[in-house]
Amino acid sequence: MTTPDQEQEARPSESYARRQNVIAASVLFVVGAGAALLSWQLGIGDLADPGPGMWPLIVSVAMAVIAVVLVVRSAPTGEEERFGRESLVVAAGVVSLLGYVFLFERVGFEIPTVALLVLWLKLLGRESWLMTAIVSLSATTAIYLLFITGLGVSLPHIVHF
Amino acid sequence: MDFLSPVLDGFGVVFQPDNLLYCLLGVTLGMLVGVLPGLGPAATIAILLPITYNIEPTSAIIMLAGIFYGAQYGGTITSVLLRLPGEASSVVTAIDGHEMARQGRAGAALGIAAIGSFIGGTIAIVALTFVAPLVSGFAIDFGPAEYTMLALLGILLVTTLGTGSIFKSLAMATLGLLLATIGQDPLLGTARLTFGSDQLLDGIDFVIVAMGLFGVGEILYNLEALRKKAPKAAPVGSVYPTRKDFSESKGAIARGSLSGFLLGILPGGGATMSSMVAYAVEKKATKRPEKFGRGAIQGVAGPETANNAAATSSFIPLLSLGIPANATMAIMFGALMLQGITPGPLLVEEEPQLFWGVVNSMYIGNLLLLAMSLPLIGIFVRILKVRAAILAPLTILITMIGVYTVRNNVFDMYLVIGLGLLGYLMKKVGFEPGPLVLAFVLGGILESAFRRSMRTFDGELSGFLGEPIAASLLGAIVLLILLSVLRAVRSRNKATQNKENKNSDVTPAEREPEDGAEQRDRDPAEHP
Repeated sequence: MTTPDQEQEARPSESYARRQNVIAASVLFVVGAGAALLSWQLGIGDLADPGPGMWPLIVSVAMAVIAVVLVVRSAPTGEEERFGRESLVVAAGVVSLLGYVFLFERVGFEIPTVALLVLWLKLLGRESWLMTAIVSLSATTAIYLLFITGLGVSLPHIVHF
Repeated sequence: MDFLSPVLDGFGVVFQPDNLLYCLLGVTLGMLVGVLPGLGPAATIAILLPITYNIEPTSAIIMLAGIFYGAQYGGTITSVLLRLPGEASSVVTAIDGHEMARQGRAGAALGIAAIGSFIGGTIAIVALTFVAPLVSGFAIDFGPAEYTMLALLGILLVTTLGTGSIFKSLAMATLGLLLATIGQDPLLGTARLTFGSDQLLDGIDFVIVAMGLFGVGEILYNLEALRKKAPKAAPVGSVYPTRKDFSESKGAIARGSLSGFLLGILPGGGATMSSMVAYAVEKKATKRPEKFGRGAIQGVAGPETANNAAATSSFIPLLSLGIPANATMAIMFGALMLQGITPGPLLVEEEPQLFWGVVNSMYIGNLLLLAMSLPLIGIFVRILKVRAAILAPLTILITMIGVYTVRNNVFDMYLVIGLGLLGYLMKKVGFEPGPLVLAFVLGGILESAFRRSMRTFDGELSGFLGEPIAASLLGAIVLLILLSVLRAVRSRNKATQNKENKNSDVTPAEREPEDGAEQRDRDPAEHP
């Protein structure tokens, strides 16, 4: 939940919101149309004996039709928010998560976990170094104890007892 | 009485020390996520799904249910003290609740909300005890035709009664249905829309969808506001309402219990809508409507009672029909399936221990929550000081590792990040994740029910009209579509009218209640 002040900051202009709505609806249309094509190729059979593509075809055609309606009715609904500089934090967050998963399997969960915590706490959250160190080390230990020692989950890990 | 003996046995299940502990854990967690703005109950339940794998089914569902109704209590605290609703269902509470806090009556607002919630919740549990088996008994002979219509009606109700734009919600519902078709054809085994990936052959796990869209999506969305300082909370004072407070709000609590219970049963209704309806009802019922928006205690008591009653009664369609009424219930549905339990009309007969154990645990849970909201409220108010910058990285880590533990598979982690990004983008562009997740859950049921009915009807769509119950459900669907079209046309006319006299004042009363808090801030002059 955001505060009203933030909401007001994030409120885009009408043309911005409209453009955003049209882009979103077009993406949905392309996905719907593409899925319809793929479903058609799967073979649709007939209603009494539907093939594997019948149901996905019905759904994706419905989706494409609704997407067209959304393009036509693209006036802002008041729920749109603009992308601003703060959206870059989200991009950084996503990239760091992808990096986390990439390393997770290769070097065990410990080092990437500490690294991710440091990155989010210090760089994204601007916490103090002391707080960063305390939280990242204790959280990694807690995850180890909870998942590996407690629940017996086979996480890839390098520290063994 | 035969009927009551399994109900009483259920108490035996609840009073097992393990289950009491899980109930306490659930409601405490619920209270916490209710207090902490950002992570809602749906996201929390989604994030905790992998952990419930290792817990006994009854205990797991008792805990998850506790999170859900516990969050309804917790959400009030931030609404009243910060005018920052922790949950969507507490948005309207913020209007009068925060005004009361500014007048130094925060304690009274929180106290009456807690007492109202307790009464509303308890009445709803009693009603649930009688209504759910009745519905199950009625639905026990439902065949594929009825389930096709029921699932369709469920999806349509959620999209049309939801808070967002109808067409945006419908688009999300179709996307959810489409995502549900990925993987092998349920009857023929053909790979569908997998793009040749073996990883997708089993379909996308429901847990991944829920965790991605709700968990990761919400965390990413909140990252934007990560560095913002938390606003200062108003002082609480005594939480025990006076005799005058009681006599002013007893009508609101009674009406809230009833409307909340009824709306909660309706698919798409649920806690958020019932709180808004209760607010509107109280405003109509009072002799002094001018007090609303200026700290009317009925404006807190009504919605808070209603959202708890609705949270409880929304278990009815899930437990007795197997049709989730809202997004959180969709995640509960997923949690039950994970445990190998199919929610539906047979549940009360086949799993009486689980059914009555979960239902009866709600009495205990509500008692615990009452204790947490009155004498122990100070602890939860202190939690408001925990910074989002510390919480966000911890929740994302638990999510990522939780996802891995579902299948010990790194592919799922990438998938959850992708879905999280989708969830974030959807929020920015004004699409609700709820209808998508709900449709995803119902997608499998809907497809197999539709295909089986088509086979029985020999491919004739008119076959649905031959089944009385299916036909009446179809009638309800048609009626619903007509009503929505009418509403869309009317709101469009209103929009053009508003455009014509753009600078004229719109009073808060004419606005949707959900805009209330925000509207008030823009026009402070209207409320001296």
